[in-house]
Amino acid sequence: MTRRWQGTTLFTVIMAGVAATVGGRLMTAPAPTAVAAPNLGSTTTTTPAPTSTPTGATTPSAAAHSPAAQAAPAKTTVQGAVEQTVYGPVQVSVTFSGSKITDVTALQTPNQSGRDVMIASYAVPQLRQEVLASQSAHVDSVSGATYTSGGYLQSVQSAIDAHH
Amino acid sequence: MTLLVIAGGLAVVGLWWPTAVITASPSALAIAVAELVGMIGSYLVCIQVLLIARIPWFERMVGLDRLVAWHRVVGTSTLFLVLAHVSFMTLSQWITVGGGPVGAYLGLFHIYPDMLTATVGTAIMLGAGLLSANVLRRLMSYELWYWTHVTTYLAIFLTFLHQISAGPVFVGHPLNRLIWMAMYFGTAACVVVWRALTPLVRFAKHRFEVVAIVPESRRMTSVWIRSKRPELLRARAGQFMLFRFLAWGHLLTAHPYSISNVPADGLIRITVADLGDHSGALRNVRPGTKVVVEGPFGGFFGRRRRAASILLVAGGAGIGPIRGLAEQFARMGRSVVVVYRASHTDDLALYHEVAALPRVHLVPLVGRRAELGYDPLEPGRLARAVPDIAHRETFICGPDAMIERVRGSLIDLGVPARRIHSEELSFA
Repeated sequence: MTRRWQGTTLFTVIMAGVAATVGGRLMTAPAPTAVAAPNLGSTTTTTPAPTSTPTGATTPSAAAHSPAAQAAPAKTTVQGAVEQTVYGPVQVSVTFSGSKITDVTALQTPNQSGRDVMIASYAVPQLRQEVLASQSAHVDSVSGATYTSGGYLQSVQSAIDAHH
Repeated sequence: MTLLVIAGGLAVVGLWWPTAVITASPSALAIAVAELVGMIGSYLVCIQVLLIARIPWFERMVGLDRLVAWHRVVGTSTLFLVLAHVSFMTLSQWITVGGGPVGAYLGLFHIYPDMLTATVGTAIMLGAGLLSANVLRRLMSYELWYWTHVTTYLAIFLTFLHQISAGPVFVGHPLNRLIWMAMYFGTAACVVVWRALTPLVRFAKHRFEVVAIVPESRRMTSVWIRSKRPELLRARAGQFMLFRFLAWGHLLTAHPYSISNVPADGLIRITVADLGDHSGALRNVRPGTKVVVEGPFGGFFGRRRRAASILLVAGGAGIGPIRGLAEQFARMGRSVVVVYRASHTDDLALYHEVAALPRVHLVPLVGRRAELGYDPLEPGRLARAVPDIAHRETFICGPDAMIERVRGSLIDLGVPARRIHSEELSFA
C-alpha cells in the first residue's frame, strides 16, 4: 500500500533537494562580471575600441590562419587564429598600441546551446581582463569554461605572435 | 546503509557544485537542474545495480528480498530522474533556440557528443523500467521480464558514454572523470564477480545435477538437485537460490526457488508451484540436467533463531522454505506450529511430509474465502487455531497479500512487529 508510492516519494524528495541545491548555488554564485569591463588602456585611445560582444554573434571571419594585420602607426588590431574547441570555434582580435595590448575582442565564441552562450558571457569578460592585466596569454583559464578559455587564450597568443 | 548512500549523493553534489554555471536566466537554471538531476540519477543507477549485485556481506546483512524491494523503490525514482534530466535539457535548449520540444531535443545532438547512444540507452532503460511496473509486469512472462532487465546493463553502458564525453563536470576535469569512471567500473566489477564468476566457480566445484523430479500435488513439483561436493554446500533450510537449468527452454533465465528440505548429503530439494511459465515446465526437466546455482540467499533461518516457540505460516509455494524450517527448528527442540493456508486440499503439497515431522504441529486452513464465508487468517480464527500465538516467533512465507493479511492479524493480536518475519516468494 505505502510501498507503491515510495519510489515516487523518493523522487520528489530528490527533486526538492536538487531545487534547493541549485537555489543555494545561485545565491552563492559570484555576480557575473559586467560585460562593459573598464578599459585598462592607459595609453592614448584615439579611436574608441570596438566594444566586445561576448555572445559571439559576430560573423565568422574568413581569415583563418593568416592573421591580417591592419597597418596603423601606433594602434594595430590583429585577428587571432580560429581555434576549434569541443564546443565550437573561438576567435579573438587583439588591439595593440605599440607592443602593449589595449583591448581584446571576442569575434566568435561557442554559441550552439544556451549553456555555451552563458559560459561565454561570463568567461569572456574575465579572460579579457586577465589578458589586459598580464599583457600575455599566459593566464589561468576560467573555471567551468576550460575549453572556451583554452581556445580564447590560444587565439590571443596567435595574435600576439602575428604582431611581433 | 541509507546514510552511506546519502553521503554518496552529497559527494555527487560536491562534484557538480564547483563546475556549475549559474545565472538567474530560465535556460541556465534548467541546465543546472538537468545536470544535477542527471548526475544523481546516474549515481542511483550504480546504487541500483549494486543492490542486486549479490554482494555476499550485503546479502547476509539485509536479505535479498529486501534488497530487491529497495531496488524497486530506487528504480522508480531513478527512472523519473532520467526523465527529468532529459526534460530539463530539452527545456533549456527550447528556451534558448526555440523549435519545439522535438526540435530542441534533436538540437542537443549537435551540441553534445554520444547523444545517439545515450538516447538508445535511455529508451532501453525506460522500457525495462516500465515493464517492471506492477501493472505491466503481471502481463508478461518471467523470461521476457528477465531479458528486458538484463539489457539494462547495456543501456547503462550506452548512457555512461555521454556522461563522460559531454558532462561539463567531467569534460576538462580529469579527476572528476576518474572518480566517475571508478564508480562505474567498481559497480561493473561487483556484477561480474558476484553475478557471473561466483556461480560459475561454484558450478565447477559442485557440478549440480538434477537427480529426481517428484510431483507433490496437482500444481506443485519437487526437483531434487545433488552436489558432487556435499561438504562445501552451505545452503540451509529456509533459504532460496537462483537456479539456471542447462536444458533447452531453461538455459536463458535464472529462477529463484526456495529450498524445501534440510539440505544434507549434498541434496537440495526445491518445491515449485506451477504458475504457468517456467515453474510448470520444470516437470519436463530430465534427471541428469546440470544446474548453475546462485546463492544461497535469505537469512530467514538466521533471524531470531533462539525463540523457544515458533509459528510458521505457509501459503502456496511458501510451504517449501517453511517445511525446511519446520524440520530445522523441531530438531533444535523448539515447539513448532505450522499453519498451512491453501484454497483446496489438492493444493496441500508436502502435507503428509510436514505432518509426519516429529514435534511439529500442523494446522491446515483450507478453502476459498468466498466458499467459507470468512477469512481463516483473520485475528479471531488465527488465535483459535494457535492459542498461544502471541508468544510465538512468527515466520511467514507466501504471496505478498497473504503475508500482509497475517501480519495485520498478528499485530491485532498484540504480537510485537519485531517478532514477525516474512519473506516474499515473488521478487521479480
